[in-house]
Amino acid sequence: MRTLRLLWVHLRLGALNELQYRGNLVAQMLQSLISLAASLLGLGIVFSKTDALGGWGPYELLAILGVYFLVGGISQLVVQPSLSRFMEDIRLGAFDFTLTKPVDAQMLASIKQIEVWKLVDVAIGAGVLGVALAGLGEGVGPARAAAFGLTLLAGVAIVYSFLLLLATCAFWFVRVDNILVIFQSMYEAGRWPIGIYPPWLRLSLTFLVPIGFAITVPASGLVGRLSGDTLALAVALGVALPLVARWFWRRGLRRYSGASA
Amino acid sequence: MLDLRAADVNSASIARFTLGRTMDDIRRPVICVRDLHKAYSVPEREAGLAASLRSLWRRQTREVTAVERISFDVAPGEIVGFLGPNGAGKTTTLKMLAGLLHPTSGEVDVLGFTPWRREPAYLRQMTLVMGQRNQLVWDIPVADSYELNRVIYAIPDDQYRRTLDELADLLELDPLLTKPVRNLSLGERMKCELAGALLHRPRVLFLDEPTLGLDVTAQRRIRAFIADYATRHDATVLLTSHYMADVEALAERVIVIHHGALRFDGPLDGLIERFSPFKTLTLDFEGAPGDLGRFGEVIEAADGHAVVRVRKADAAAATARLLAELPVIDLSVADPPVDEVIDRVFSDEAAGAADEAIEVAS
Repeated sequence: MRTLRLLWVHLRLGALNELQYRGNLVAQMLQSLISLAASLLGLGIVFSKTDALGGWGPYELLAILGVYFLVGGISQLVVQPSLSRFMEDIRLGAFDFTLTKPVDAQMLASIKQIEVWKLVDVAIGAGVLGVALAGLGEGVGPARAAAFGLTLLAGVAIVYSFLLLLATCAFWFVRVDNILVIFQSMYEAGRWPIGIYPPWLRLSLTFLVPIGFAITVPASGLVGRLSGDTLALAVALGVALPLVARWFWRRGLRRYSGASA
Repeated sequence: MLDLRAADVNSASIARFTLGRTMDDIRRPVICVRDLHKAYSVPEREAGLAASLRSLWRRQTREVTAVERISFDVAPGEIVGFLGPNGAGKTTTLKMLAGLLHPTSGEVDVLGFTPWRREPAYLRQMTLVMGQRNQLVWDIPVADSYELNRVIYAIPDDQYRRTLDELADLLELDPLLTKPVRNLSLGERMKCELAGALLHRPRVLFLDEPTLGLDVTAQRRIRAFIADYATRHDATVLLTSHYMADVEALAERVIVIHHGALRFDGPLDGLIERFSPFKTLTLDFEGAPGDLGRFGEVIEAADGHAVVRVRKADAAAATARLLAELPVIDLSVADPPVDEVIDRVFSDEAAGAADEAIEVAS
């Protein structure tokens, strides 16, 4: 509850302040639209040659693109800027102030910085998903909607936990600024269903960097090609990974405060 | 080294009575520190590439003691100055009290809590301000940073408004609140930092170099504000500074640590008494000074004006002789400036010499 209120205040203040810089909005919209256009163009080229890619039809791939924008938008809206800020705070010593606050430090560090304009990506993601749904025609039943909601939630939890695990390394190695950038470039691979990649890359994108769970799996849920096993695995990971990340964070904090020495 | 602590407790309570407090006010200490000890193990390697590579295999570490078994109590409403040169262990101690660091051993009780458990009930009642770091968000207006604190501390609306009004009034913040922090001068920023750290009306304040880098006027301003806040809200303040003026203006009591160990704990006067066995005689007279060396150590001598330093025990006799032998117009006897005394405490040899001097004198 407190988390949501804090998140809301951060969002509101972030928006209020950013509104002063309209140039930023234009630039961000342009960037998002170019990214969208490039993706659509890619899809267009693929489907001018073939009817399906790795078994995925045009509107199904559009669903993937929607989830790609949606999850990426959420991550870049809150998680990535906040965790970058956290690592910077560790380096500069300002993290001490996070620790003196009477709220959970992990929560505060995870929502501290908002990149308001990434709401554009979230909106684009929702829009593209809407178009995909309309194109798929057959009404998405409650079962698919539930599978989508569940796996999307799990996907966001998995991406967050993964990024938190990376950022937590800052407690040990003070300079790890680029660690999140690496994630972002890997994330690009999620525009396409991970099934089309060669096995080694597919496995990496599933278990090493869990982008498959964040994008392909929820999209599969939506278009009705999700197996029960995958659903169970996604939900299990969505529960387990945050716990692991939490445990790791606590170890990091213990080290930071000199309790482990 | 003499143990003055028992005597200091007495003088602290006397000071309390003279401030018009009653017996009821002598409550149990707000801060209670016992044998607090902090040692770090730091990696150690010799210079050079070969040594660096070797250290990848086997890390040589060395134990460094930052704080060495210190103990002290702070009574409610007391303002205590924490003195020591850079690296003495002041900040480490403060960080342990604020719950940021775990000690290697020892106990701390602040308001009934163990700080490093970081219980929200404790964190809501204390604040930490560090002069060289800011916690306000750089790019957004000051008022927005305050708004974040309001939510984080769950401060009720009316209380928040009252506190902010009061702080804005005392520190003249009104014109600053709408500006982003990056557009503020250092002095303005410190004022805003302080106010932001006090919005939740903490009962215990840990201030680490709150006047660092400020000009004299701004320093005075901050000092007056801290004193005012402490009396208004009966807050307990532990303040580190290496500006002596801060401590002189604010603290009735000082704690001196050096190389992590507690060197002195007591009233400021006591510090001077203890570490400076000299008095300074300042004279104005007619004509040339002549040879003043027979009275004491000559610090300064010119036509009509001179400064002579004498041992405390000899001060009365020297004064009498000066008055008899020179055409004195004006004469004053003073303790040396506190800065000088502190320097003396911090240079080990000199402090040792001062100890001896006291023993010889008494």
